[in-house]
Amino acid sequence: MRAGRRAAGAAPRTAVTPPAVAGTVRIGTAAAIVVVALVLLIGPLLLPEPDRADFADLLAGPSSSHPLGTDQLGRDVLARLVHGGRLTIGLSLFAVLATGVAGVAVGMLAAATGGPGRLLMRLVDVLAAIPVVLFGLVAAVALGPGTASLLVAVTAIAWTPFARQTFLLVRAERGRDYVTAAVALGAGPVRVLVHHVGRNLVPPLAAHACVRFASTLLTVSGLSFLGLGIQPPTAEWGAMVAEGREYLFTAPHVVLVPSVAVVLTAGTALSWGRRWDRTGPW
Amino acid sequence: MIRLLLRRLLVVPPVLLAASVLVFVLPRTTGVDPARALLRARTADAVPDPATEARVRAELGLDDGVVEQYLRWVGTVLRGDLGLGYVSRTPVAEQVGDAAAVSGLLALLALAVAAAAGIPAGVYAARRPGGLLDRFLGGATVAGVAVPEFVLAPWLVLVFAVGLGALPAVGWGGPEHLVLPVLTLAAYPGALAAQLVRVETAGALARPHARAARARGLGEQAVLWRHGARLATTSVTALSGMLVAGLLGGSVVVEVVFGIPGLGRTLHQAVTAQDLPVIQAGTLLVVTVAVLAGVLVEVLAVSLDPVQRTAEGVR
Repeated sequence: MRAGRRAAGAAPRTAVTPPAVAGTVRIGTAAAIVVVALVLLIGPLLLPEPDRADFADLLAGPSSSHPLGTDQLGRDVLARLVHGGRLTIGLSLFAVLATGVAGVAVGMLAAATGGPGRLLMRLVDVLAAIPVVLFGLVAAVALGPGTASLLVAVTAIAWTPFARQTFLLVRAERGRDYVTAAVALGAGPVRVLVHHVGRNLVPPLAAHACVRFASTLLTVSGLSFLGLGIQPPTAEWGAMVAEGREYLFTAPHVVLVPSVAVVLTAGTALSWGRRWDRTGPW
Repeated sequence: MIRLLLRRLLVVPPVLLAASVLVFVLPRTTGVDPARALLRARTADAVPDPATEARVRAELGLDDGVVEQYLRWVGTVLRGDLGLGYVSRTPVAEQVGDAAAVSGLLALLALAVAAAAGIPAGVYAARRPGGLLDRFLGGATVAGVAVPEFVLAPWLVLVFAVGLGALPAVGWGGPEHLVLPVLTLAAYPGALAAQLVRVETAGALARPHARAARARGLGEQAVLWRHGARLATTSVTALSGMLVAGLLGGSVVVEVVFGIPGLGRTLHQAVTAQDLPVIQAGTLLVVTVAVLAGVLVEVLAVSLDPVQRTAEGVR
């Protein structure tokens, strides 16, 4: 991976998409994100209760009263999608922010201290190899499956990729001329790290955060799908897929709606991250 | 090389020690009394007989001090004895070992498929950065990462098992049961491999040595693979090491959806049944494999890359 950064820096950045088109796409994505955020924020005020069952109208397709149809208990799929989205996206955002702050701090600390820092990163490398799902299982046993165990699962070791990325970035930046110049002008190590190096870390770390957001979102919904996260009847995208799976053949929309939501959200985050860091993959 | 390996392995014992303490403490954090949990699993009795409970407690050694219990537990684990499962009443080591063999097979096949698809995709995408193939594959890899297993698996079942009737939807046994799970598992590693190989190969092709090779009249394929893709070897090796543990213990969704008796499903069932010995054994196994795979692959990557080899002082 280390070699990767260097090699990517040497590659000529050919314009993949004409600037005008890229600009339109970017504005389009931004607009879509704003619309989704608004729907998630004010949607619950306008939509029916996500848990209200209507036994006269089970597994119905889209209609004027239920724009995305109803599920096996006659609950409004759109209302559950919006409520579930608040939970899925909210938890993922929180986890990414928390692990981002912790991971960047650890990475900077490790980069700032020589030998002990390298040892710390060895430990981080080892922790990063442990699958997150395993923590989900263990946390579900220790705390009982629920929001708390889910949060532990997506934060306990999820800060390690951030620490790794920060460490590698700081190490790459440290040899640059502007750092030498800053040191020559009398800047202390903290000022160099935060003021000079820090601002050059923002774009690649923001890109990394987008990738982490996508993978956290998939973990949150995946663990809930397995019954190890958000518990029914609370609406959550992964849990909705799990509940609707029995009706995949008779009423595919119950599974399709939350599935599409998960894929589109993760995909948007990933492509957003790619635009942020032009030196990253694609 | 050997010295580097030994030096890197130094970090393993403290991590395994920490993991063993965590795994040992785990049952105590649940607030579930192991003796009572065991009795409930066996008899489905809400209120067990106090005399029986006392006997089970003594049998499990629960009345001794915590440190003593921990040391005894480590001793038995080191001898390969992980106790009996609460539910099955069979040795956990066997149960977890059999399951790990199934998951290991799945993991290796998935990695092979991912490499076979992802590496050429990355190499040919790097041939013309920004070209049609590159852009198409770029989108495909985003999809490969963004589509989770719990979405991909049901739809593969719907198309290939229900729609075409070509493959079984669930089950384990014959080679036909491998196809859909392996495809589901391979999507994510394949997409990651393609992205990584693409970046590294494009970077290599832009460097002077590739131009020199072309100037010497080397064929396009030889330049592409021998002078371009070859530079991706290190990172792909590192990537596979990171993925192995995740595939071994982390393919819970795929194993649950397809009904495969692997480690992921075994652990999932153990969590539901509060079968603590199984969870302890599985967790220890996956952490050990993760840590060892990480170290081995890093050493392998260093020994494959002349630049890193020199930096690490290894010959």
